[in-house]
Amino acid sequence: MAALEHCPSGDFLDLLRRREHPFAVGAPVRPVETGQPLIEAHGTTVLAVKYAGGVLNVGDRRATSANAVMYDRAEKILEVDDTTLLAISGSYARALEVVRYLRHAFHYYRRTQLQEMSLEGKLSEVSRVVAQNVASAMSGLGAFLPVISVYDATRGEGRIFFYDGLGARFESEEWGAAGSGAERIRGAFDYILKTKGRFRDMSLDEALSEALVLLDIAAEMDAMTGGYDKVLPSAKAVSAAGIEHLPEERLREAVSRIRRGA
Amino acid sequence: MLSPYDWNEAIRQRAEYIEERLAEGSPVVALSCREGILLATVRGTQRKLFEIYDRLAFAALGQQADIEALRLNAIDFAHAEGFARSPDDVTIGRVVAALSPAVKKAFGDPLAAPLVARSLFAEVGATPETDHFYALGYDGEFRAFRRLAVIAGSPTAEEQMRACLAEALGSGEIPSLREGRRHALRAWAAGWAARRSRGQKAEPAGEQDLDAVLGEALREGEVEMALLDRSTHRQCRFRVLREEETESERE
Repeated sequence: MAALEHCPSGDFLDLLRRREHPFAVGAPVRPVETGQPLIEAHGTTVLAVKYAGGVLNVGDRRATSANAVMYDRAEKILEVDDTTLLAISGSYARALEVVRYLRHAFHYYRRTQLQEMSLEGKLSEVSRVVAQNVASAMSGLGAFLPVISVYDATRGEGRIFFYDGLGARFESEEWGAAGSGAERIRGAFDYILKTKGRFRDMSLDEALSEALVLLDIAAEMDAMTGGYDKVLPSAKAVSAAGIEHLPEERLREAVSRIRRGA
Repeated sequence: MLSPYDWNEAIRQRAEYIEERLAEGSPVVALSCREGILLATVRGTQRKLFEIYDRLAFAALGQQADIEALRLNAIDFAHAEGFARSPDDVTIGRVVAALSPAVKKAFGDPLAAPLVARSLFAEVGATPETDHFYALGYDGEFRAFRRLAVIAGSPTAEEQMRACLAEALGSGEIPSLREGRRHALRAWAAGWAARRSRGQKAEPAGEQDLDAVLGEALREGEVEMALLDRSTHRQCRFRVLREEETESERE
């Protein structure tokens, strides 16, 4: 450090750019020259449903590459800070890097500016990293889509946001899902809403049962999604009390409830 | 051309200029407790205790602009390193070592403004034995400490504070947070009472005197305390103690 120069805006990307970190500067993306475009194949299903008091996220644990199962303990529901969960689909490598970035960016802002980044600010930061990734995603590498679940203390409720590939953000009323299995179970979400009522009126355990059934359906329809038979999915909830990692015991109980048909 | 004498003289005057501006600064105490590292001071309106990184805290006395520059640089370094490598690689020793050359350069460069600040850095470990403390001077010189560290307006005041803490802590048992709060405020008062006593050895004040000094100071200022929590599962260990958590010991 030659002189005491610092980055006054609290913008972590700006700090990385000044230090020429590859995350901010970006490796040049070469157009694909071979006839076969290089496409990463990733399958997954992550979903977020509201419940009375917050948002529940459930994700399968399977990581795939083309048609090979690489790993069956992947963690796809990640904590960004005390009130934000990020469920990832797509390129696992890129998504993990982005979560690491977001964790630092949110803390960096809070610590330098001595105030919490607003919810709007955090959501825009996510948009920015998705948009920054477009060129890379277009060339076939590193495409990922996040689903963000937060507890909004000013409104006193959980909220769910999802993104498109260019970084546009949408808020969802009841549920959000991403990954190769998500598309196949859209109708099932609707069926639950129309026959059993809104997710946000359910208790955490009721929402957990529904989410596990949805994940199981996704696993049956999508070879790249793991269900709950071999390895239990991961489940995390965000509420006024912060982030809760639901223990395996609770998931096992929910699975046996489903099997009993209760 | 500058002779070595001129250089010495210039440095001496600079140091005097800075010491003069630091003399009225409110001391800061950092102390290993069983629950974590306690940081304590009495402040006016400006916040004095800051979070640098997941397990790191910072406090300083001096001029606000310089404190802010040190604070932001420490945060920049910690976050860039934590992201480029891992949060486990960001240690307080690295942060201080990264800041020190720039501070020394500013102090030694006759054409640059020196940093008018004395700073304290702390890192909480899994046990009190792995807590780390550093004090960084306006000349870029830094020292590592174990178990406790203090900064005050003058070296004499710092000595008084260390003596006060040594007496309170006795044989080396690690205090609880509750005991730590009491010791820290006493030590603060010892440092505050010894301000402006540069050069001459001040008489250590008795317990009653320290309570009186503290009471006097609290008519205008307020106690600020923060904890680097040893046991929390949260990634960020730093939290400012609420007013009711800091008040209990001042009966």
